[in-house]
Amino acid sequence: MSTTTAPPRRKDLLDIESLSREEIVFLLETARPFKDLFTRSVKKVPALRGKTVLNLFFESSTRTRASFEIAAKRLSADVTNLAITQSSVTKGESILDTVETMQSMKVDYMVVRHAGAGVPAFIAKHTPAAVINAGDGNHAHPTQALLDAFTMREAVGELAGRKILLVGDLLHSRVSRSVSTIARKLGMEVGIFAPGTLVPAGRPDYMKSFADFGEAIEWGPDFVYLLRLQRERQAAHFFPSLREYHNVFGLTRERFLECRRRGIRIMHPGPVNRGVELVDEVLTYEHCLINRQVENGIAARMAVLYWLQPAVAPLPDEKEDATS
Amino acid sequence: MSTPRLFRGGQAVDAAHASPRRLDLLVSARGKIEKVAPEIAPPAGAEIVDCTGKILLPGLFDMHVHLREPGREDEETIAAGGRAAVRGGFTGIVAMPNTDPPIDTGGLVRFVRTLAREQSPIPVWTSGCITKGRAGQQLADIADMHRQGAVMITDDGDPVADAYLFRRALEYARHFDLLTACHCEVPELSRGGAMNEGARSYRLGIPGIPACSEEISIARDLELARLAGARIHIQHVTTARGLDIVRRAKQDGVRVTCEVSPHHLLLNEDDITDYDTNFKMNPPLRTAADNEALLAGLLDGSIDALATDHAPHTEFEKNLDFASAPFGITGLETALPSLYERLVRPGKLPWDILVRAFSETPRRILCIEPPGFREGESADFVVFNPEGRTKVDPETMASKSRNTPFIGQSLSGAVEEVALGANLLLAGKQA
Repeated sequence: MSTTTAPPRRKDLLDIESLSREEIVFLLETARPFKDLFTRSVKKVPALRGKTVLNLFFESSTRTRASFEIAAKRLSADVTNLAITQSSVTKGESILDTVETMQSMKVDYMVVRHAGAGVPAFIAKHTPAAVINAGDGNHAHPTQALLDAFTMREAVGELAGRKILLVGDLLHSRVSRSVSTIARKLGMEVGIFAPGTLVPAGRPDYMKSFADFGEAIEWGPDFVYLLRLQRERQAAHFFPSLREYHNVFGLTRERFLECRRRGIRIMHPGPVNRGVELVDEVLTYEHCLINRQVENGIAARMAVLYWLQPAVAPLPDEKEDATS
Repeated sequence: MSTPRLFRGGQAVDAAHASPRRLDLLVSARGKIEKVAPEIAPPAGAEIVDCTGKILLPGLFDMHVHLREPGREDEETIAAGGRAAVRGGFTGIVAMPNTDPPIDTGGLVRFVRTLAREQSPIPVWTSGCITKGRAGQQLADIADMHRQGAVMITDDGDPVADAYLFRRALEYARHFDLLTACHCEVPELSRGGAMNEGARSYRLGIPGIPACSEEISIARDLELARLAGARIHIQHVTTARGLDIVRRAKQDGVRVTCEVSPHHLLLNEDDITDYDTNFKMNPPLRTAADNEALLAGLLDGSIDALATDHAPHTEFEKNLDFASAPFGITGLETALPSLYERLVRPGKLPWDILVRAFSETPRRILCIEPPGFREGESADFVVFNPEGRTKVDPETMASKSRNTPFIGQSLSGAVEEVALGANLLLAGKQA
């Protein structure tokens, strides 16, 4: 596969912060041959044959769940999806109870999404299964950051010295936290452009903040990364109206044309709010990477599943298999 | 007990003496301190309690304790909380009224006091609510509660958001010279937050509570106290700026006192790793700079009292995710050893200030006579072994809950005995 030597395998992937640059590069290199697989008629490899992957989603997300499911299946794993609504948790079953129940079913990997920051880390401490954080509160979304870095490398090659501009709701965004962290670890410069209400207190100093879109574009970003705006933020007074948000912080037609003139790549974690974060035309732009991000998500998640190592003790017959 | 006891060889500390001095105490069979002297020859028939190498300090007093009874006896009871207090060296505590139902009538005050007399090894005072049901809408039966022995009124856990109502509460309480204690917070600014807002909350992705939520509320309450001319007590001050507001009000003659918790002195937001909910409380852990400012405030007298804000929660509740788990940590059994280990032993906090803030002043604030090493008074003191260890062991804690950030640790120093009247409350069990 790749010539990069593999760093020691981890049990869990909980955030980008705890990964070294070497580990990140290894995962990105590993994702590449997996992506090549997609063009073949048989898209499957036997790497995780006989293993069970559990998608444990306390917060609904059809897209991310489907991406993990396809990734696991292309590695020949068995996949079970479990969606747990918050209400069944408040009924008196704790997260720990749920995890113990799942553990009795001897799953090897748990893909966890939860509205509360830190839940995947908490689960990871209590299960021998490898835990992948598929998004926790405002904290982290490491596989999103990996697929984004993969997409950016695919587009321009080496990322060191490149610039990424994050636009929009940084306050509530686990995506922005993980993407800015991976960008920084890969030697990129990070700019931000957002209304004052959505700029988090205590953000790292390396983030360069801009007063208007024009100034941010003048900075010369290679990538403009539009963050998804939750419409309900309006009710909490983060901005007065979607119209005004679009006019000041969205990729309007005029700004889009300027980006196109400069050949700036446009990214978005999806799903997009048309007419809010961006105008429709962006989606057909040759340097719009949004669909590529979705496609690469599968490859990046395959790389993660392939690399992680559950702490589940192998059964005796399995050991014999390994030596034969 | 039928014999007098001689506590011999101990080093006494009190609010009047910065450093320990050798003091022997002879306690009569009826629990009175008969004689206090550097050295007392053992009278015939007296039981000798060897205190060599030990520190003797007046019984501690915690003016901020959640005993959860009535309503949440799965978290704590008056009996278990009382035992936990003894383990920590406390000989008096004040129950907070945010129970279920909240303590907002004279009858409920009477209920708590009666239960305490029957079941707690130490005296338990209680506070009453400022507003009916702690709902912030109408004044509770303040005079009735006062008559039944409530020592302060507070809606602790929440501020009285309505400034008009809070003004009236202060004016009404002034009539009885009853203390009003405030949990200072602007609910709209704190809403949804689970820890201090800043670099750490950004990294953890946990919604933040800005420091000014507390500071604005302190400023408001002090201006209203100034207007009403009432006595006011600011509970759990946590920020340097909040403390400065109190300090300035004191200089201006506002009748204000305030408290700090051991955890806000010793811990800060950077201690929140791994989303451990035993570090989640309200107000939240602030910054290292705030730790410094609070210690300085304790040393210069701007902070009057230490208080634990002992807030027991079950393991089930604390096993929720950080944002969903309830606020609060226990403190009775860890307060003294943690302060000793981190501040007293390293020389940052002299014994006399600790005794003043954790024994004498909180009692004075509530018009309760503080204990001391004085002949003719009832025995009320703690034997503390500075060389001992306090193991914060979930198996052996007296509190019904174990939600302390010190869980699993072994802290320096140990409360070995609590003498209250003729009784030895630990009876050597912890030695």
